[in-house]
Amino acid sequence: MNRGVETAIKIEGVSQAFGAEGDPRRVIALESASLDVARGELMCLIGPSGCGKSTLLNIIGGLATPTTGRVVIDGQAVRGPSPQKIAFVFQENTLFPWRTVVDNVKLGMAFQGVPSSERNERAHEALKAVGLDDFANHYPAQLSGGMKQRAQLARALGLQTEILLMDEPFAALDEQTRMVLGEDLSVLLARTGKTIIFVTHSLVEAVFLADRVAVLTARPGKIKKIINVGESHPRKSNFMTSPKLGALRNELYELLHDEIRKTMTLRGETSEGA
Amino acid sequence: MSNRRGPIMSPGIARLLVIIALFAFWEIGARYDADPLFLCPPSQAIGALPHIFSDPKIVNAIRVTIYEVVTAFVISVSFGMIVGLIVGLHGFTKASILPVILLLYATPQATILPLFVLSFGIGPAAKIAFGISHGIFPVIVTTVAGVQNLRPTLLTAARSMGASRIQIFTSIVFPHMIPSFFTGMRLGMTAVLLGVLLAELYVSTAGIGFYTRLFAESFSPPDLFALIAVLAAIAVTLNELCRTAERRFSRWHAS
Amino acid sequence: MKPSSRLPQRLVQIGILVVLLVTWYWETLPGGINQLLLPAPAPVFRNFWILLTTNSIWPDLAVTVREWITAFLIATIGGCTLGYVISRSGYAVRVFDPLLAGIYSIPAILLFPLYLLFFGLGPGSKIAIGSTIAFFPVVLNTIAGLSYVDKAYITAARSMGANDLQLFWNVMLPAAFPVVLTGLRLGCILSFLSILGGETISSLAGLGHRIVSLAENMESAQMFGNILFAVLMAFIVNGVVSYAEARGRRGMQ
Repeated sequence: MNRGVETAIKIEGVSQAFGAEGDPRRVIALESASLDVARGELMCLIGPSGCGKSTLLNIIGGLATPTTGRVVIDGQAVRGPSPQKIAFVFQENTLFPWRTVVDNVKLGMAFQGVPSSERNERAHEALKAVGLDDFANHYPAQLSGGMKQRAQLARALGLQTEILLMDEPFAALDEQTRMVLGEDLSVLLARTGKTIIFVTHSLVEAVFLADRVAVLTARPGKIKKIINVGESHPRKSNFMTSPKLGALRNELYELLHDEIRKTMTLRGETSEGA
Repeated sequence: MSNRRGPIMSPGIARLLVIIALFAFWEIGARYDADPLFLCPPSQAIGALPHIFSDPKIVNAIRVTIYEVVTAFVISVSFGMIVGLIVGLHGFTKASILPVILLLYATPQATILPLFVLSFGIGPAAKIAFGISHGIFPVIVTTVAGVQNLRPTLLTAARSMGASRIQIFTSIVFPHMIPSFFTGMRLGMTAVLLGVLLAELYVSTAGIGFYTRLFAESFSPPDLFALIAVLAAIAVTLNELCRTAERRFSRWHAS
Repeated sequence: MKPSSRLPQRLVQIGILVVLLVTWYWETLPGGINQLLLPAPAPVFRNFWILLTTNSIWPDLAVTVREWITAFLIATIGGCTLGYVISRSGYAVRVFDPLLAGIYSIPAILLFPLYLLFFGLGPGSKIAIGSTIAFFPVVLNTIAGLSYVDKAYITAARSMGANDLQLFWNVMLPAAFPVVLTGLRLGCILSFLSILGGETISSLAGLGHRIVSLAENMESAQMFGNILFAVLMAFIVNGVVSYAEARGRRGMQ
């Protein structure tokens, strides 16, 4: 389970506010979030809508600057995108529709700065790792939703970064595809030892995939609790039906239920209304 | 996405400054560097406006042009709507006649302009006819499209409640079509303007075509600029009226 | 709709065509419409055939085509360049885009007398009006295409380390391409039509001028033949350009 207690990512007191001080429309998305992510660990971030988990992910990856606090990776504070160390997988489709799958993977490497002689081999390796090598010359429009996300994952893998940040990558997929992709992700992690931070809405998905699950509160997002799953990778399919998973899921449910209710009230939705 | 200070001035004011700068550039450039036979500064063009307006023949030519545009517009819109309704309301008529209409719409009308003048003479009739020839097509096409968008479920629901054909038309079809009607009007106005102006410029023996040719051949840029500016202002005003009408009457429509 | 069920519609269309031809023939029989106003079908089609099979129309056609291509090139290069420059800044887009759209709403044909004054009766004034009218759809579409690239693509590329040049070449350009292509199609067709218009109003040569001088010389049958030729050419241009746009869009998905 623990591939070493070495900390890969240190999140120190990160806060994110939108709007100026004193502005009545000011929104505090995150408040003093602190977290340590160990090397080779898969950490899930889970919380109600608008709790700032995507914002936190963007801050960790250098796509956004926090209002206060900082993120330290390998002893250096994060100041912008670090393509050498961090790769993203987004929820929406960001595969470029005008290029084939393999060209998309190669383009990612071109952006990162991989010499062109190495790109082809690495691209096919990455596609094989996600089981898409047979579709290398297809266009994204010809792929199903699950395949598109696999292709995005392949593009991220091609960058051969230590850290992988995934923002609800399976959200747009049906539950059955999610199950399969979740298992594949677990196998991949066991093989590569990457440090992964994974944002999700799904309680079961969080427990099934993560080494630890960080639960965030409703806005302003704070880290409410970190739950340890304590199960080795690759996760087997029988873990899905085990009582241990059920118990952890229930624990998450209790932690989250009030936060979700709070978010709904903030938005003006109650069980009495529509 | 944090607290970035906005730009220094609003885009509207910046735009105004750009326009002023362009006019200033034109003014200075024309004063110092232009052959007065071909180019004049805007100040001179504005100075020629009273000259334009004091000549009753020119004013009459402008008035006739406006009359031609309005007449062509009204006929285009009314006939266009009727044809559009007839063609659009039945699937059969739409599938058979609409391609014919689209074919006519795509012809290069400039080539048949001499034909219009041969048939109708050099008076307003030819220009109105040519204007209608331009304006009627966008009205027909948008009317047909407007009828198309009507969801069959609305009609079924109405019929199930016992509405007669007339009731269905007045309370469902007609209100539904108003936004596309106004869009068609706006496009129709632009097209009618093009047709009428094209015809006017072609007929160089009378109307504003006579004066544009006169001013060009006698190398009087101030008069020519002034006349064109007046016509442009009229065209923009008419276009804006249609655009505003479209916006106002489409506001209730949750497009 | 199954092809077989399109037959009734086709019959109606063919019927309309037949009725028109028959009416035309009928009305131009001796004692009918003045031949100067509407010549009989036979001489018209004979003239049309002569135009298609001999070189007689070539000098004027060449003038028109040369004016058209020049005007389209000017509009494309100018429009794409200015569109690119403006799209670099969101603020510039907010300032200039409504300005350009507003100018576009003025009937540009009004500028033609001015161009006649500047450039005379030769090809210059036609090229000028053609490029002016074609310029606007090109520049407006270039701005639209480059400004409304899906932010997700840009974020993804930046996260992978793309620099400005890589971003532009590999993301912005391909994403903008379909929209820009539509602008080019509109520009191509509009420049052709406005040049025909200019030649009709005042010109020394070209397709439009040919038709006008035939009208002035009361050569009705030839005029109609030439009009048919110009209409045919317009349809071909429209078809080819639309096809090119569709192919281009498909290639970029």
